[in-house]
Amino acid sequence: MKNPHRLGRWLVALGLLHAIIACAGFFAPYDPREQDRENPYVPPTRVHLVDAHGRFHFRPFFYGSLIREDSFERLGEDSAKAVQIQFFTHGARYHLLGFLPCRLHLFGTGSGRIYVLGSDAYGRDQLSRILYGGQISLLAGLLGAGLTLLLGATIGTTAGYFGGWRDALLMRLAELFVALPWLYLLFALRAFLPLAVSPLEAFLLVTVVIGTVGWARPARLVRGVVLSAKERDFVRAARGFGASNGYLLRRHVLPAASSVLLTQAAILIPQFVLAEMTLSFLGLGVPEPVPSWGNLLANLQEYSVLISYWWMYLPALAIVPFFLGYLGLAGALQEHANPYKMEAASLGGTG
Amino acid sequence: MKARRPTLMFTGLGLALLLCAGEGTARPYPPSPPQGKPKEELLILPGEVGRTGGRLVVSLRAEPKTLNPLTAADAPSREVILGAMQADLIHINRATQLTEPALAKSWKVSKDNLEYTLTLRKGLRFSDGHPLDADDVLFTFHVYLDESVHATQRDLLIIGGKPIAVRKVDPWTVVFQLPKTYGVGERLFDGLAILPRHLLEKPYTEGKLAQTWTVSTPANQWAGAGPFRLKEYIPGQRLVLERNPFYWEQDSKQNRLPYLDELDFIFVPSSDAQVLRFQSGETDVISRLGAENFAALERLQRGFTMADAGPGLEYNFLFFNLNDLGEKAPPEIAQKQKWFREVKFRQAVSLAVDRQAIVRLVYQGRGAALWGPVTPGNRRWVNASIPHPARSLDRARQLLTEAGFTWGHGANGDSVLLDSEGKPVDFSVLTSSSSADRMKMATLIQDDLKQLGMRVQVAPLEFRSLIDRVTQTKTYEACVLGLVSFDADPNSDLNVWLSSGGTHLWNPSQTHPATAWEAEIDRLMEQQLSVTAYEQRKKLSDRVQEILADNQPMIFLASPNILAGAKNTIGNFRPAVLEPYVLWNVEQLFFRNGAGSASQ
Amino acid sequence: MRYTFRRMIQAAILLFGASVLTFLFSALAPGNYFDEMRLNPQISPETIISLRGQYHLDRPLPVRYVQWVNSLIHGEMGFSFAYNSPVGPLLWVRARNTLILTLTATLIAWAIALPLGIWSAATAGRWPDRVLSWATASFLVLPDLLLALCLLILAVRSGWFPTGGLVSTGFETLLPFGKFRDIVMHLTLPVTALVLSSLPILIRHVRAAIGEVLGAPFLRAAEGHGIPRRRLLYRYALRAAANPLISLFGFSIGALLSGSFLVEVVMSWPGLGPLMLEAILARDLYVVIGGVLLSTLFLVGGNFIADMMLYWADPRIRTEAATQ
Repeated sequence: MKNPHRLGRWLVALGLLHAIIACAGFFAPYDPREQDRENPYVPPTRVHLVDAHGRFHFRPFFYGSLIREDSFERLGEDSAKAVQIQFFTHGARYHLLGFLPCRLHLFGTGSGRIYVLGSDAYGRDQLSRILYGGQISLLAGLLGAGLTLLLGATIGTTAGYFGGWRDALLMRLAELFVALPWLYLLFALRAFLPLAVSPLEAFLLVTVVIGTVGWARPARLVRGVVLSAKERDFVRAARGFGASNGYLLRRHVLPAASSVLLTQAAILIPQFVLAEMTLSFLGLGVPEPVPSWGNLLANLQEYSVLISYWWMYLPALAIVPFFLGYLGLAGALQEHANPYKMEAASLGGTG
Repeated sequence: MKARRPTLMFTGLGLALLLCAGEGTARPYPPSPPQGKPKEELLILPGEVGRTGGRLVVSLRAEPKTLNPLTAADAPSREVILGAMQADLIHINRATQLTEPALAKSWKVSKDNLEYTLTLRKGLRFSDGHPLDADDVLFTFHVYLDESVHATQRDLLIIGGKPIAVRKVDPWTVVFQLPKTYGVGERLFDGLAILPRHLLEKPYTEGKLAQTWTVSTPANQWAGAGPFRLKEYIPGQRLVLERNPFYWEQDSKQNRLPYLDELDFIFVPSSDAQVLRFQSGETDVISRLGAENFAALERLQRGFTMADAGPGLEYNFLFFNLNDLGEKAPPEIAQKQKWFREVKFRQAVSLAVDRQAIVRLVYQGRGAALWGPVTPGNRRWVNASIPHPARSLDRARQLLTEAGFTWGHGANGDSVLLDSEGKPVDFSVLTSSSSADRMKMATLIQDDLKQLGMRVQVAPLEFRSLIDRVTQTKTYEACVLGLVSFDADPNSDLNVWLSSGGTHLWNPSQTHPATAWEAEIDRLMEQQLSVTAYEQRKKLSDRVQEILADNQPMIFLASPNILAGAKNTIGNFRPAVLEPYVLWNVEQLFFRNGAGSASQ
Repeated sequence: MRYTFRRMIQAAILLFGASVLTFLFSALAPGNYFDEMRLNPQISPETIISLRGQYHLDRPLPVRYVQWVNSLIHGEMGFSFAYNSPVGPLLWVRARNTLILTLTATLIAWAIALPLGIWSAATAGRWPDRVLSWATASFLVLPDLLLALCLLILAVRSGWFPTGGLVSTGFETLLPFGKFRDIVMHLTLPVTALVLSSLPILIRHVRAAIGEVLGAPFLRAAEGHGIPRRRLLYRYALRAAANPLISLFGFSIGALLSGSFLVEVVMSWPGLGPLMLEAILARDLYVVIGGVLLSTLFLVGGNFIADMMLYWADPRIRTEAATQ
């Protein structure tokens, strides 16, 4: 029994998540680059509805911070300084969807800064950084994965379908691609680039680099499936009737590979978002102070951060819903497309 | 990643003579030296008297690449070889920062400061029991100076283009003739390991010296005069050293040093992993701690002694590309060099940098803000009267206005600094992507300068790519880097300040000083080489620091404190601000409970 | 047989290509091994130039390549600048350590992934499948690095496991059983990290492959004939679904030397990973080339085994090869 709603549900959920990222400026209370040097590594602000005297307030508020020298938890709450949270308020300038100049934010404060998800080493707001960071990272992940799959599917199909010398050549090429020390080439590439790489250029570079290098694995998987699919009886029969290569590929061979491709897509997107973490180590990532999920996660590589400031884990958790969404969508799509699908599948189905 | 200077060896303090019979050893007892009965003139070290025995486990960032002191260039090799396995003639005490006798029990300097006469201790032996005498010293210096050997320290022994001459007077006396005065010349001997002629002469005559004594050398083919000798090397895992029974120091109770039976170096690639190993008790001491990790370990309170030795000799700085690139200069860099050459521009940048924020945010307060290259940790040489102007954007704007800069409005409504031709001021700052500290500094500077209307891009690069840009292709605009002086003496950084020096980073290897103030620094540095009185040299060095502060070729930022830790059971743990921070007195370290390292 | 021979020729060409390209890349990358000394005020620029000359780094690329091939023939694989010794012996020890780790991890991962994946496919849509799907999905989106670091912190906090390395200090004094136990203790964390990071992908692929064939008519027919479900799943379904799994297994073999890179670095396992990372950053050229060739060899081998198995397991491909 097919469930037509499953696909729709996943699409809506993912759509909502992406809309939030696309309108990061509205949901984020601050500019992601704005430093507050008096407040490095501030834990998430506690939001209250009931004040120190036990009175209830309709408008949520938080207390200003108080530096306590005596305890390991450096910051305490100063109950004399209550700050109210305001909704639909004016704050830092930003461009909605990249072009509409705007100052309206979902929430903000008149005085004092609120750190819903804590602050980083420079006192920058983590929530704002996560939201803005998603813009670059998700695009890079989606485009990178798309590029890889396109290359992988084309090369894998060519190798598997035509076989012979083409197969041997392409597969050895794939092995070469996996084996080569790409780090060297990346160092070289960086040397040829201008020193000041703008975030946009960095993003394009990251996308192209990770997209081009990764095709070998999907190509081999696709080739394996194609090798087998083209010898199925109905494909042989169709060929016997004089069907063209293009027709055979489109109608019979590629659909067989779709399951592998979808699975790969769902796995590759998170991997590509995380790959930027490694690339930033080489100076190829999105440069500071512009946030990306890759450089947010790179903070976690410091042991002291890991054990001292638990809220620095939050970016890793924030990206989980997106990746789960992709896995789920891949599963639902597969179920939707595959003619001999087993009955009802769950999340991620055959993902 | 910062440039590491050679780590030097350590020996002891005080001076005394003592007769003592050779101790029993597993190896064949050596033949007696020809000059009568072997006497041993051991050095007595003050300090807590410890207990013999135990194994100390220390982590190293990388494997030592060689056990050959001639070719050792990487920090781990130097730390191991010069820190624990080899000995020098005259040594710089890491705690007092003064020279003291080591293999040489005393030395005399001639009136013209050119001739150093060193007298060796009697009864010295290498770790294989073979006697050490003047012939070994002669051989050592001959080899260091031989160009075909490519000894990394050869350049130290070439003064004013001419090598130091060495001659033997008798088996215990050696005379060193300097071609030119070199300030306090005895500091030169620190870190020059005396090599065993009986083992290395054959490979040397065969021309294979550089390839001998790799890490896989069998223990019986290796010898040194340091407190420990080679026992075993396991590739990728550890290097095991054992007590050198012939070591030439003892404590005040006449116990021969070192106390420890064994010294194990395990290879742990990242500083964070080193903290983990220390925290779990797998290693006994830890040094080169970051402030965050230091605080985390302090908070644990698990039986560790954590020590903050104060600011070390590392100085971090921002500098601009002031090279004369001539015709080949890329136009965009040539355009920006016009700003960089303007001293008021550099002064304005210096005034806009929030050094206190760097100390607070990068070093958690465990560091010192810098306005000159000599850190407060270098007590004898720091010029305390250099002005420490507080951060002032107003003063910076005033300087920029005087230099012809103006402000306009950018696309986002923020103010943009424009030069006299109306071009917006923007430049990139290189940092090493492997140094989290300097990345943070660059990010803070970026934000500081934004308030002056400068658009700064941080460009992290992998370390060797960065060096290539700064020293070879010279295609960069500005860079944040750090250097660690390996010695407190101003001579150790000679090549940074001389305009002809290869590490005169903002404009290296000049044939003629490009500016009047660089010529003045050259003159002062040369002058301080020709005198030996501390007061005179200090005055000259102070003047150099003042000129640097006035002209800001480097905008000095901050210096981290030297942070270290040890298990509570370790005695004589006294970290110093000179490398090797913790192991400088390794021969005196001991376990109070006598048990040694607990392996799990 | 002819096929094997052809593959070997191809592999030789591939290795040649890989070595040439690595040489080229290394020439393009800025800086060389001796550049680090340029920041040392104690060493003059002339010394650095003469050092480069001593190691022939100033010669043209083709000359250096020929020199390297010559040393390869003598079994040395070039000379490491950093270690001042031939590359061959350096690599063997490290490769052995890596294989100890990855062979264990690969075996365990497959041993867990096959039954779990099949179980998941067989119970599609019911709770075991749902739980597994969520679990694999969550592990999949967790960065490997974070996983390894968390395991390390667990080790430190609990004190149950050593926090890195291959053996403890004082290993040589242990009895044979103690030695075995020591190695197992040291293996536990890195193997766990490797298994946890590869398991979700394996399980999902197994589930997808089995799920694909479960609906096929021949299996329904077999079920109708009363063949026991277990036998049905493990014999018929698994065999029919072997195709993508075999390709995947080929990757597993191919990745034996290179797949544990990150875990080795984070957990300071004395394998090829840390050596290669250090060599690449230090521009220790011949170590890099040696490492690349060694992992290429494994990759080619893994793919070759996978192709042979594909040929053996999938009758359709066999017929095609026969008709060629």
